[in-house]
Amino acid sequence: MKNQINTIPEKINESDFVFERPSFLSKIFNLKMVLNTASVLSLFVIWGLLVNFGIYRFVLIPGPAEVLEWGIKWMGSKDFWMDASLSTLRVLGGFTFACLIAIPTGLMIGWNKIFSDLTFPTLEILRPIPGIAYIPIAILFFPWEEASVAFICFVGAFFPILLNTITGVKLIDRDYFRAAQCLGSKPRHIFWHIVVPGALPSISTGAALGMGIAWMASVAGEMISGKWGLGYRIWEAYTLIRYPLIVDGMIVIGLLGLGSSTLIRFITLRLIPWRKAITESLDESITK
Amino acid sequence: MANWTTVRRIMSVLLFLLAWTILVQFTGQFHQIPTPAAVFAALFQLKLGVIFTEIFRSFVRVLCGFLLGLLIGFPIGVAIGYSRIANYLLFPAVEMVRPIPPIAWIPLTVLFFINIESQIVFLTFYGAFFPIVYNTMGGISEVDIRLPRAAMSFGINRMGMLWKIILPAAMPQIFTGMKVAIGITWLMVVAAEMIASKGGLGYWVWYHHTVMEYPMVILGMGIIGLCGALCSVGIDVIGSHFMKWRNIF
Repeated sequence: MKNQINTIPEKINESDFVFERPSFLSKIFNLKMVLNTASVLSLFVIWGLLVNFGIYRFVLIPGPAEVLEWGIKWMGSKDFWMDASLSTLRVLGGFTFACLIAIPTGLMIGWNKIFSDLTFPTLEILRPIPGIAYIPIAILFFPWEEASVAFICFVGAFFPILLNTITGVKLIDRDYFRAAQCLGSKPRHIFWHIVVPGALPSISTGAALGMGIAWMASVAGEMISGKWGLGYRIWEAYTLIRYPLIVDGMIVIGLLGLGSSTLIRFITLRLIPWRKAITESLDESITK
Repeated sequence: MANWTTVRRIMSVLLFLLAWTILVQFTGQFHQIPTPAAVFAALFQLKLGVIFTEIFRSFVRVLCGFLLGLLIGFPIGVAIGYSRIANYLLFPAVEMVRPIPPIAWIPLTVLFFINIESQIVFLTFYGAFFPIVYNTMGGISEVDIRLPRAAMSFGINRMGMLWKIILPAAMPQIFTGMKVAIGITWLMVVAAEMIASKGGLGYWVWYHHTVMEYPMVILGMGIIGLCGALCSVGIDVIGSHFMKWRNIF
């Protein structure tokens, strides 16, 4: 690399530009990895110590070893798969309905002023009512329990998706609309080629958010009005004094929620290939 | 000439009420749900003393939990966003606990705290904690790099950098996080009160559900919504006080 300026371009080797690769050991034992591992480990160690020495009321809380033991037992039983699949189905049902209604409504509200005036004030009044407060109405309205829990998930997921869709449409550069109009697009062309793709990144964020809230709502719904499902299971574990099962249930709910949010990000990334192209090229430039 | 936008907005609410009435009156599926008229009539049967105590109770719980969340979550968010070492040390642990929804903590909380009041406050605190931490962290990491560089070239010290540059620049997103947090706090307070049955708006709604006074249930939902909206507006007002420079543009 010394006298690069004087060398003839053909003579520059590719190796001149390749940085020296960090060795395997230095990759593992850098500060970041050590501290990250320490962080995760200390979480479990502190939990274990607090329970072990019974500080304050931590005697009642199950320790990591117990939780692991019960977790393995629970995973082996049929109940677990029933609970997990039923909860997932409820959340997915509510979430799908929320997407089907919130995304078109949001697109129309963001795009069309008259439609926005006609619907948005009502939605704005309904929005601050938390999904949990709908539980009595849901029980009343749906004779079928599955539907009432799914409805609560629907309410929880609806507003994050709706609001993010509206913001997504509002954030589209006005020039695109003007350009399309100059080129003689009809409203439906503008809708399908500008409004929908322009709002997609924001919709993706909203969907991931909504998924998280749908899981939260499903737990509450099942605790209060369920016969099966993970939320019901942790409440039952509490009443039957099977305390380690509570923590197992929490962990499974957390993992399922995380998994479904990640799945949504993955799927929506497929729908917005131009976004992916940007991030991928960035990744490449950083890693190479 | 009437302002068509206002007319349409009022029409929106009226149409909603009309659709509600028609659905309840003329379809079999909805017949158990009270009409808007019944809900309006229930408004006059409210015992003001009772309802205001319930509102006050819920408000105190929400504010306690929220302020605790702010007191603990905000410094942690700042530490994770501002210091690399704190980020490495705290972020993975926070990231592991975060996916568990706050409602799933209810049984463990009931087990751990004897006092019902502290159970509810812990749950509201937990609901507020993660949105505040994540938005504070995100706000700090998204500060325009030119601002700290400019300050550095004027010879600012580390504390001054934090207080004068980073935090004001991250302020909009911190307040967004606080708004999200207060929404989740209200959700948590309703859920916790429904289960704990020790007063508060959530319990009030649940009680009227069990004695089958459904107009009151809907009224209660409306009151909860109103309180939530009020808190959200309150945070906006405080936020605009802290971010006066935004009003200039």
